[in-house]
Amino acid sequence: MKPAAFTYHAPETAAEAAGLLADLGDEAKAIAGGQSLVPMLALRLAVFDHLVDLRRVGGLRGVERRNGDVWIGAGTTQTEVQRSALVAEAVPLLSRATPLIGHFQIRNRGTIGGSIAHADAAAEYPAVALALDARLEALSPRGSRTIPATEFFTGLWSTALEPDELLTGISFPVRGARSGFAVEEFARRSGDFAIAGAAVAVELDADGRVLRCGIGLFGLGSTPRRASAAEAAATGGGADSLSAEEIGRDAIAELDSVPSDLHASADYRRHLGAVMVARAWQRAVKEASDA
Amino acid sequence: MSAEEAPARRYAGTRVPRVEDARLLTGRGTYVDDVVRPGMLHACFVRSPLARARIEGVDASEALALEGVHAVFTAEDLNPTAREQWYTLIGKDVPDTPRPPLAEDEVRFVGDPVALVIADDRYIAEDAAELVVVEYEPLPPVVDYATGRESGDLVHEGFPNNIACELAGLPVEDLPVFDEAAFTARETIYQQAYAAVPIETRGLVAEWSPSTGEMTIWAATQSPHEVRLFCARLLGLDEHRVRVVMRDTGGGFGQKVLPLREEICVMLASVKVPGPLKWIEDRRENLLAAGQARHEHADARIAFDADGMILATAIDYVQDVGAYPTPAPMNTCAVVGILFPGPYRIPQGTFATTGVFSNTVGRTAYRGPWQFESVAREVLLDIAAREMGRDPAELRRKNLLRRDEFPCTNHSGMPYSDVTPLETFEQALEMLDYDAFRREQERARAEGRYLGVGTSTYIEPTTDSLSLHATEGATIRIEPSGKVNVYVSGGSSGNSIETTVVQLTADALGVDIEDVNTIQGDTAVTPFGGGTGGSRSGSMNAGAVEATASILRERIAAIAADRLGVSAEDVETVGGHARVRGKPETGLPLSEIASIAYFQPESLPPGVPPGLEASGRYRAQSPVIWANATHLCTCEVDLTTGAVKLLRYIVSEDCGPMINPTVVEGQIAGGVVQGIGGALYEHLAYDEDGNPVSTTFMDYLLPTSTEVPVIEYGHIETPGPGPGGYKGVGEGGAIGAPPAVVNAVADALAPLGVKITRLPLTPESLVTLVREAKARQEAAG
Repeated sequence: MKPAAFTYHAPETAAEAAGLLADLGDEAKAIAGGQSLVPMLALRLAVFDHLVDLRRVGGLRGVERRNGDVWIGAGTTQTEVQRSALVAEAVPLLSRATPLIGHFQIRNRGTIGGSIAHADAAAEYPAVALALDARLEALSPRGSRTIPATEFFTGLWSTALEPDELLTGISFPVRGARSGFAVEEFARRSGDFAIAGAAVAVELDADGRVLRCGIGLFGLGSTPRRASAAEAAATGGGADSLSAEEIGRDAIAELDSVPSDLHASADYRRHLGAVMVARAWQRAVKEASDA
Repeated sequence: MSAEEAPARRYAGTRVPRVEDARLLTGRGTYVDDVVRPGMLHACFVRSPLARARIEGVDASEALALEGVHAVFTAEDLNPTAREQWYTLIGKDVPDTPRPPLAEDEVRFVGDPVALVIADDRYIAEDAAELVVVEYEPLPPVVDYATGRESGDLVHEGFPNNIACELAGLPVEDLPVFDEAAFTARETIYQQAYAAVPIETRGLVAEWSPSTGEMTIWAATQSPHEVRLFCARLLGLDEHRVRVVMRDTGGGFGQKVLPLREEICVMLASVKVPGPLKWIEDRRENLLAAGQARHEHADARIAFDADGMILATAIDYVQDVGAYPTPAPMNTCAVVGILFPGPYRIPQGTFATTGVFSNTVGRTAYRGPWQFESVAREVLLDIAAREMGRDPAELRRKNLLRRDEFPCTNHSGMPYSDVTPLETFEQALEMLDYDAFRREQERARAEGRYLGVGTSTYIEPTTDSLSLHATEGATIRIEPSGKVNVYVSGGSSGNSIETTVVQLTADALGVDIEDVNTIQGDTAVTPFGGGTGGSRSGSMNAGAVEATASILRERIAAIAADRLGVSAEDVETVGGHARVRGKPETGLPLSEIASIAYFQPESLPPGVPPGLEASGRYRAQSPVIWANATHLCTCEVDLTTGAVKLLRYIVSEDCGPMINPTVVEGQIAGGVVQGIGGALYEHLAYDEDGNPVSTTFMDYLLPTSTEVPVIEYGHIETPGPGPGGYKGVGEGGAIGAPPAVVNAVADALAPLGVKITRLPLTPESLVTLVREAKARQEAAG
């Protein structure tokens, strides 16, 4: 369990980092907290000739309000996200999902950008980004662009980022007052990757109808998924009359290629997925209704 | 009060803080990977990616061309150089199963070592290992031991039907009681493979000195003297040419009792390379190749009369021994059958046991290797109670052996004595308040919540007296300063032997514990001894310390009596002094007696030898010392997800008088956590092609502090036949926990008609069982 040799790069600006990624191509990988990449390197499941360390890159850390959204630098650690009063107040779903990520030692090093760019199907942050319609900022030598979360996750551990693109920050829209948020996941042990999980954001109108909602699913496919059909079916419905169980079933009905492994068969994952969606929906609606 | 007037203290029985802790908890322990020698080289194994294949060829040319690579050894290079390959503990003439150092013609499990790369560092060694090209001709593997006897393929030529060992008593058909009894419970109970998983993996540094013909080995081991004797025979060296040193070993649990194949390879390779050779097993290797345990099933029966009294038991037990079991599996196979009757009054019965080879990692010893006797019996007892409509506690109470019935012999011939199964059972129930829990359970069910309680009671053999375990020695040196050094073979792998020996020595010589130091684990300076294994360290070291201390007490008394003009019988050693009984003001400090003994031998009384250093050896007084316990667990099950939350965990045990309750409870806790892991989480799993699927801690799930409830302890202290009445306590926790957890979950789900006969209880398996039970009930209308 020793990684193969690699060349280490420690750029100090985002442009320099993007330039290195552009120059080195497929042989390079960006490393931030290293909580997923280092074990993969040690097990030689991944081999890269070059690692571009992002920790010294300026401008990649911090939480601030930008144009009404909450912007979080990609290099911000999960612990920093968890401790941010601004996140807790304006993007509570993110605050609630963070303690479910691994263990505190992992969160001390792991970054929000790393988690989203790594795009593990069972990770919490990608599902939160989907549920909240986050926008992802990418930088390359060709300039910067913004990618909606719904277009970001493209397949197993793959994203819309080009090989020379660097994720620099994530913008989370701030929802209205009558909103509720909840994340539910089921893992074998505390701190394990979820077998199935759901992040739900619900906003109600003055009449108690669903103005908009987002359901992000994790652990239930090769990528983080959004339950678009279930969301569409629920939108406009009265929060009191909607059945959480039905929304859970709808959300899972959309899924294909639910994984099967040592810890859970596809059938059990589907069952749990529906339960997690229903439980999260119920709590989110209650919070929105009580607001 | 001056030190000279310090009162007599007795340490045995008290919660003396562990003397190991200061160094271990501040990160200053010395594990084998901390050993760095000048010019040291590093080893890495090339392992089979296939469950079974013929080796057509090994091409190491590319690996050898890599800078920093010294050698690539294959079976041709190493295997013929092994002189003798048998374990002292097991004996030379006991029938053994195959154990080649490196795979020869055929690989027999994924992880089977095929070649050994030696390089300047482990990074280069791993680079080179990837460059070794092994050509394999795949063969159909025998993955499932349960059908291995019917497979047309053989794991080893020479073992027809893949049978490693077989032993059977009376055919169960010859016991009509099972058909004639008022009720016979019969189930096939299955336990998954799981493993010891020490946090420090295996490893050793072997330093061969060609100029002197001496070998020094730093090892992660439970038994440094076994490693020494084994290595001497393996390499054809005299024993005194081999020195084994161990300081701290980060857990063994049976896996480190005997040198396994990789360690044998490193010993063989170390005499062929130009520097000390280090091999540190990584976690993936440990989960791949360090051995499995617990993989087994049995067709078990218990017959009852109309009053619920047990009439007979029978077990037909089948064990997965993997490809290369160590040691040969006959012993643990047989013990499962012999101990199946457990702590109950059972007039008759029988057993049959079989070990079956498979193309998976070999079985190794693991904390209570016969543990399945308790799993099968206790799980089946709960099933029987439910099917007879009896409370499982009431059923056990009827059948548990009472104190006045001991000593007695179980129907397999095991002579139980000095145990208290019924007392521990009642104590555990009382600690819970069993009746109150049943009422709480009733209320919870009315709310749709499913709580359960499960128990397990067992008797376990500790402190066996076989072979290398028959004796244990100690050397005690009272230094000229009066301070004490005690040398024992050691083998501490986290089990507090240092604290235990220091406590016992302080008591035996009447000195302050701060004045006692212990030296262990270095075969060059410690007495010969068996080390850690079979729950023997407490009792055997107590014997060794007392045998030695009594020699010194006698010498001290003789010297003091001579100086003080009293009779030796009137002298006692207490508070670091030799004092006259009844006259605490009259005495000599040990330093003065030591000064006389070492520096004024001419003034010693006649017949008293000079010096205050002695060696003694203790011989086990009985074939085994029996210990016993009851485990009790409560839980809540979420029917929707299958999640199990453990609520309370209670252990009432009888390991005799406790030398140190903190150490006793630590031993129990560690075992219980491993048992909870086995019941709910840990699974060394293979897919149907024989590929292991849990070779990292992401997939091999050890319970952590968030999964384990506070463990509550009750103690009953019945002296056993050994010194101080001490009994073993190292293994029991891991024996009692799985059935208690299974029974608690089964009790929670009982109203739904769920029956549990397979481990582990994963959330998915419970959801499936609940769904099936509901379907059955609906079909039944």
